[in-house]
Amino acid sequence: MISSVLENIQGIEIYYIIGLLLFVVFFVVILIRTLRMPSKEAEHIKNSILNDNEIMTPSNK
Amino acid sequence: MEDQKVIYDNKTVKLFILATLVWGIVGVLVGVVIALQLRFPAFNFGLEFTTFGRVRPVHTNAIIFAFVGNAIFAGVYYSMQRLLKTRMFSDLLSKFHFWTWQLIIVLAAVTLLLGFTTSKEYAELEWPIDILIALVWIAFGVNMIGTTVIRRVQHIYAAIWWYIATFVGVAILHVVNSFELPISLFKSYSLYSGAQDAVVQWWYGHNAVAFFLTTPFLGLMYYYLPKAAERPIYSYKLSIIHFWSLIFLYMWAGPHHLLYQALPDWAQALGVTFSIMLIAPSWGGMINGLLTLRGAWDKVRDKAELKFLVVAVTAYGMSTFEGPMMSIKFVNQLTHFTDWTIGHVHIAGMAWNGGIVFGMLYWLVPKLFRTKLYSEKLANAHFWIATLGILIYAIPLYWSAVTQWLMLREYTPEGFLAYPNFLETLTQILPMYTFRILGGTMFMIGFLLMVFNLAKTMKAGSMVAQEEAYAPVLVELGARDPKKEGMHRFLERKSVRFSIVAFIVLAIGGAVEIIPMTFVKSNVPTIEAVKPYTPLELAGRDIYVSEGCYNCHSQMVRPFRWETDRYGEYSKIGEFVYDHPFQWGSRRTGPDLARAGVVGGPMYKNAAWHYNHFMDPQKMNEQSIMPKYSWLAEKDIDLDIIPVKIRAMQKLGVPYPDGFDKIAVDDLKKQASGIVADLKASGITADPNKQIIAMIAYMHKLGRDISTPAVNDSTNMATAKVVVETLPTTPADLNSGKEIFGKLCASCHGPEGKGQATFPNLTDDVWIHGGTPTDVVNTITNGYPVKGMLPFKSQLSDQQIKQVASFILNSLKK
Repeated sequence: MISSVLENIQGIEIYYIIGLLLFVVFFVVILIRTLRMPSKEAEHIKNSILNDNEIMTPSNK
Repeated sequence: MEDQKVIYDNKTVKLFILATLVWGIVGVLVGVVIALQLRFPAFNFGLEFTTFGRVRPVHTNAIIFAFVGNAIFAGVYYSMQRLLKTRMFSDLLSKFHFWTWQLIIVLAAVTLLLGFTTSKEYAELEWPIDILIALVWIAFGVNMIGTTVIRRVQHIYAAIWWYIATFVGVAILHVVNSFELPISLFKSYSLYSGAQDAVVQWWYGHNAVAFFLTTPFLGLMYYYLPKAAERPIYSYKLSIIHFWSLIFLYMWAGPHHLLYQALPDWAQALGVTFSIMLIAPSWGGMINGLLTLRGAWDKVRDKAELKFLVVAVTAYGMSTFEGPMMSIKFVNQLTHFTDWTIGHVHIAGMAWNGGIVFGMLYWLVPKLFRTKLYSEKLANAHFWIATLGILIYAIPLYWSAVTQWLMLREYTPEGFLAYPNFLETLTQILPMYTFRILGGTMFMIGFLLMVFNLAKTMKAGSMVAQEEAYAPVLVELGARDPKKEGMHRFLERKSVRFSIVAFIVLAIGGAVEIIPMTFVKSNVPTIEAVKPYTPLELAGRDIYVSEGCYNCHSQMVRPFRWETDRYGEYSKIGEFVYDHPFQWGSRRTGPDLARAGVVGGPMYKNAAWHYNHFMDPQKMNEQSIMPKYSWLAEKDIDLDIIPVKIRAMQKLGVPYPDGFDKIAVDDLKKQASGIVADLKASGITADPNKQIIAMIAYMHKLGRDISTPAVNDSTNMATAKVVVETLPTTPADLNSGKEIFGKLCASCHGPEGKGQATFPNLTDDVWIHGGTPTDVVNTITNGYPVKGMLPFKSQLSDQQIKQVASFILNSLKK
């Protein structure tokens, strides 16, 4: 059953495989880049929204 | 560095809030009305404008686009200015956005009630309104992306990525799903046909949930939850990861709305796989939301807005687990076409979307009006009454779904369907519909409490329409430093680039799903026997669409024994090639109609039955909840537009012969007079120009092309005549016969067998096909399909047929 799922149209599985590959590659890239992001920066961004009047300059990061 | 003065536009926010409240009440009220209609058909009021088929789309559109839409815009316009420390990009666009959106809502309500609809769920609006929507959406997008360009902060906070994804996603969906060929100001045909149309529509339908009911709400959650809890979001990194995976995966999952239906297996497999994968990014959002409150749960006790937000995020987690489970093929057997789906969407809609909106409003309105909430107590009362209302709404519907599914698939020991009449399964679940009315009403009362509370709050406070704030100028950071800056942060700095990447990510999923369906020819194997609709059938089909029949009736027999036994041959992909738009339906409140035209099949009813049934369904089936459609016998078929329709169909590739448009009206009249003659033979005088004739023609077209031609009624009898000497007459037999008579025979011959319309009286001495036990048993067994008498041998065992015959001859006649 499982092996015949994608067989009824020739070559159709290529869309499927390319799509999945794209996702996996994309996901891994995002994951690695995000995990390597300095935690201090993430902390700063998420705290910054809490005070509407906070003065934002690149220097106080 | 010198600070610049920023003037926030609060007026637009306030307008959107007011619109949210007004349309919210309208949407919920209409919801209660249609809940009443499903329980008590009298609430259809006997008017064409107020039938369930037309009002239900008003409810869905009012909730999604009017209530939820305005709430999104209110939330976005407020939070964006604060997050980016700047005023919205253009006041003119803000104004245009607000007023045109309200115009669209009014136009939508009016046109839907008038019966102008494309029949594609949540995209029912006709093409002129589609164009207006596109214009507003572009205005919204330009305004939003423009604002990110003129911002005074370096980074774009998480909430705004979700807003941008919303803009990009809805833009793609709306454009692709709205390709249609206009034939008049208020009527168009979908460019796609049959299975392709279904794939595009449910890709749209599924992703409308994603990009109108999920992404903007995650955006709102990322702003208003931290604000209301006065704590930062739990993990910023998690928000990045779940953002990109969620928007990437959602676009692929559409076909899970079409499992077991006439769709290639690969498309179904695609939908299932990606739906399951979606649990991960969805739960990423839920976890991020709930963990934001860790260590702050005491605040939830005191603040109604936090209660709503917590329930919303929890419901989001539940729904996004339930959804993928419903996408598993086996589970989908149960959940599709039953009330399970209705329960699912209302948990998500009332608790997740409603909860975020309510939580946001309870926090935002006092803030905007610089005062305290008028009554914290009332807000808490709203919370409890709404939460209970949601449970009382949804739990009975899950119950109803399981009950109906079990009944539909139950077989007797003899191997026949235990409940061959669909109506029995519906009657069984009607009590659940009473609970639904109660739950919906509770939800509405809660809503009214909120409106009162917020109105009082607004009155007590005062809003500054143009609020002043100060923020420093943004200093350009220059080129990306690959060592210091992650990919996402880099994209985020350049909002336009960010939008383009989001577009590409979304487009991949859509393309993979739709392109193969549209361009690979072998996906749609054609069936030689399937012929285009005749002009009369086409006219009938357009009436079927405009009355919204698809809201209750599917045209899709799935390949299960309990469906093929009940309705007939399962549906094939090639049957639908001339269907613009497709009419597969999504919920069976009434039986499937895909085989309504198969003479001799279990779903066939003759012209006289249909005529009487349209005029007064309750006369034919006392327990039916279908609205009356008596105006179909009064309204004329629009003959002027028939040639236009034919030419439009030719453009769409339907193989009518050249010049057919010129003779189409004559063809229509000829076919209509045939049906009128048929009705006349049954004693019904009808006008061939009326819409009811077209509807009957359409009903008789459904499934006819793939069935074998009707069996001549006299040969039918001759081939298999069984001689019956004696009939069973014990009280048990007669009781069983009586029960079957009530379920299967009464809808035509009347509950007492006295006959109605053209269906013969069984209590007198006049027998058209003979009154001996042998005659009666054979009539029931083989039927007279062309005249409307079904062959019951496929639904009843020999013994049961004898019991019914015995009941008719021994009990009824007395």
